[in-house]
Amino acid sequence: MTDRLDLPQGTLDLLILKSLSLEPMHGWAISERIREVSQAVLQVPQGSLYPALHRLERRGWIRAQWGASENNRRAKYYELTRAGRKQLAKEAAEWDRLTAAVSLVLRMA
Amino acid sequence: MLADLKYRLRALLRRDTLDRELADELSFHIEREVEKHVRAGVTRAEAERRARVEFGGVEQITEDTRTSRGLERIDALLQDVRYAWRGVRSRPGFSAAVVLTLGLGIGANAAMFGVVDRLLLRPPAFLSDADRVHRAYLNYMWDGAQRTDRNFEYIVYTDVTSFATSFDAAAAFSYQQMPVGRGTAARELMVARVSASYFDFFTARPVLGRFFTAQEDVPPAGENVAVLGYAYWQSAHGGSRSVLGEQLHIGEVTYTVVGVAPRGFVGVTDGAAPVAYIPITTFAYARDPAYATSYGWSWLEMLVRRRPAVAFAAATADMSAAFARSWQVQHEQTTWLRPVSEAKPHATISPVHMARGPDAGPNGRIAAWVMGVAFIVLLIAAANVINLLLARALQRRREIALRLALGVSRARLLQQLLMETLLLALLGGVAGLAAARWGGGMLRALFLTADDADAVATDTRTLLFTATLTLAIALLTGLAPALQALRADVAGALKAGMRDSAYRSSRLRTGLLLFQSALCVLLLVGAGLFVRSLANVRAYRLGYDIDPIVLIDTNQRGVQLDDAQRNELADRLHAAAMSVPGVRSATLAATVPFYSFEGRGPPHVPGRDSLNLLGRYILQSGSSAYFETLGTRILRGRGFTSADVAGAPYVVVVSQAMAHAIWPGQDPLGERMRFGSFGGDTTPYLTVVGIAENVSGRSIGGAPEFWYYLPTLQYRTMFGAARGLLYVRVDGRAGDHVETLRERLQRELPGDSYVRAAAFADVIAPQQRSWRVGATMFVVFAALALVLATIGLYSVIAYAVAQRTRELGVRIALGASVARVVRMVVGQGVLFAITGIAAGSAAALLAARWIEPLLFDASAKDPVVYGAVAVVLLIVAVVATARPALRATRVDPTIALRAE
Repeated sequence: MTDRLDLPQGTLDLLILKSLSLEPMHGWAISERIREVSQAVLQVPQGSLYPALHRLERRGWIRAQWGASENNRRAKYYELTRAGRKQLAKEAAEWDRLTAAVSLVLRMA
Repeated sequence: MLADLKYRLRALLRRDTLDRELADELSFHIEREVEKHVRAGVTRAEAERRARVEFGGVEQITEDTRTSRGLERIDALLQDVRYAWRGVRSRPGFSAAVVLTLGLGIGANAAMFGVVDRLLLRPPAFLSDADRVHRAYLNYMWDGAQRTDRNFEYIVYTDVTSFATSFDAAAAFSYQQMPVGRGTAARELMVARVSASYFDFFTARPVLGRFFTAQEDVPPAGENVAVLGYAYWQSAHGGSRSVLGEQLHIGEVTYTVVGVAPRGFVGVTDGAAPVAYIPITTFAYARDPAYATSYGWSWLEMLVRRRPAVAFAAATADMSAAFARSWQVQHEQTTWLRPVSEAKPHATISPVHMARGPDAGPNGRIAAWVMGVAFIVLLIAAANVINLLLARALQRRREIALRLALGVSRARLLQQLLMETLLLALLGGVAGLAAARWGGGMLRALFLTADDADAVATDTRTLLFTATLTLAIALLTGLAPALQALRADVAGALKAGMRDSAYRSSRLRTGLLLFQSALCVLLLVGAGLFVRSLANVRAYRLGYDIDPIVLIDTNQRGVQLDDAQRNELADRLHAAAMSVPGVRSATLAATVPFYSFEGRGPPHVPGRDSLNLLGRYILQSGSSAYFETLGTRILRGRGFTSADVAGAPYVVVVSQAMAHAIWPGQDPLGERMRFGSFGGDTTPYLTVVGIAENVSGRSIGGAPEFWYYLPTLQYRTMFGAARGLLYVRVDGRAGDHVETLRERLQRELPGDSYVRAAAFADVIAPQQRSWRVGATMFVVFAALALVLATIGLYSVIAYAVAQRTRELGVRIALGASVARVVRMVVGQGVLFAITGIAAGSAAALLAARWIEPLLFDASAKDPVVYGAVAVVLLIVAVVATARPALRATRVDPTIALRAE
């Protein structure tokens, strides 16, 4: 098992938005997805997931709906809104610029 | 942004639902986590343990999620409100005192704002482009003085509006009481005679039918159409829709109702709402068919709307030029008008509010003053509340220190303390609105004319004003005490408790008290000055009696009488009045002071010219009992007798001022005069037989007026008929005889004519109104201020005494006499009072310059008033401190010392 990384500040929102850009999901599925896709490198701190979801909902980037889960239980599904899609594009671009810039500096040094 | 607000609102209003949903969501998450572990081959118990450990504290997450809903601030606020409310309720006495004090202060301001807003600020309902709409006034020189008119002939209105180009709309209007209805059902009601263009100034649309059109309002005679006022439609027609097409008698003319004005529409008047609107041309033609082309009947006010591109000054200049041109035309047609170069006619255009125009009565100014006074009352109230809150803050030092020590942030604590003041202020604001509503009726009656449709203190503007004021007061009163409370040195306060440190920091309180008593002195001085001024007005001799006199006028309708018939009717009425029991004497007359004047130009006196430069001459005619009926004293010579009939030598009585002006240093008795150009050169010479005391008929306390009196019978030989006014002197109260006289005289009248009778006092009273208003308002508010200041003084002294219990106990224990302690405590109060008197008097003397023009014959530096105020305040100081002082003497030294 690879070492787990703590999420850098502010990236949780970006990861949530990215995960939701594929399909609506409930909270647990989001944390699983991030873990799987990052090959278990990224571990979503469970304590911050739900506050983040509610914050994003308040900002109008995602919206929630109750639906039936794959094991036929009532679960709260989150989906991206139009504003959220825009926000994702913006944050992803910023992230790319940031990482590119950081690696540039690291390589030069 | 909107989504955010919606979310927060939902979070706030449906908090329980959201919490339940969150719980579901979290338990679902844990369940799935458990399932995952179970699938990986762990036992269920172990899986549950792991899931829970990984997940962390559910409580913490719930809390964090709630926070992310953005409610923490609101939660804290709600918590503060609840906390503040508990605080308010736990000390009902203190809270009631604050609420009541603020309520009085805020109420006074809310009520006055309603009046001032109505008189000076708020444009009339429905008026569009109010900032470009003006009333037009004409200024010109006359008798060596500038005069301002706002009433014009119809021809001047059409002249000016066609000459001036700066305006895109103009209207003429005239509001007056007219007989509405027929026969005994006729009532004198307010009727608006308006040009059709008048309605275009407003956004109002008729609720029924239509307004009349420009085609229905053309000279010489408009159509007989009328638009009803909403209130009258409701009261007289029950709001019936079938009113259209009905006939309505107004004055001499029968009108057909074509529409009903919307609710709240009155046009630009400050006065009573009109019952109907009729075309000016219809009304005028019925009165004088030549009105549209002749000068002499000035009855129309003018409303103009400036073009958006034209500046105010340019529009005024344009209007002036138009007036001058019209004047020139008029000068060429009439003989008596001064030329333009002499009269210098020029225009003033002003906001639509009468009280902001050049011939505004004192109402607006006095209302603005009283508003200032109300504000001072509020300041005094605020000072009281600050004092009360400071005392409370001191009592709470321990509690606050404790909470600070427990880690509550100062900001949060400040918010809580302010919340409490805000809550008190809000309650005070509500109490104030109630007070304003209750007192509003009185103010309305004083400043605005009766039956003003919208009630003071309930309209949106007043509510907004009150809300703003309340918030400002909450901050003003809450901030200082709260900051002082927070300044607490935690350790010291916790150690010492409240006993020790309390009395020190009272410089602010002393300052407030001085501020308060100075303001109170200022108001008391104002009240004293206005009361004295009112007394002066009342005591001022007008040159005639008022109280025992009934004034009778007739309105002749449905009959055309020639001069002889009119004179005969007047004599019949005179005789009938004399036959009524309780009548002592009666006289016919031509004019009523302050309401109508008969001017026939300067008289012609042999050997004297330029008499027109001396002033205006007012002609009155009277029967033989004129002077004894009116009570005007004859200073020299004689009044009229029954021998002064037609054919007898012509006689005249002149007022003292007129005699002095025309015949300075000479004996005027036996001198001769004649009517000047107005009477033609054919009138005979009159011989002066008497000098009457001066009378006031144009203004109270103004320059001496020139009155001269002719016997009615001789007047008729020269001018045909006079207006058939009747003054009747009665025994006892005039009001008791009005109805009897009216009934008796009504029997003499032909056709639809009717008699109007009124106590002379009621006719004259409006002339004293502004002084009465000023005096009443100042006295009411000054009394309020005095009560508040007394409470303030009392509470501060009482509090100080309570704080000094120990010190006083020690003094008494050490042998200080009771008298000495009382003297010390009372002395403190008196010192406050003296300082307040000094500061307040100084402020009053500074303000004297502005207040003096509002007073009648009274100096704003009247030492009697200042002295009386000083005495009152000293008495108040002694009374307010006596109780605490006596309580201080009852301090039992052992108890006081043990309290340590």
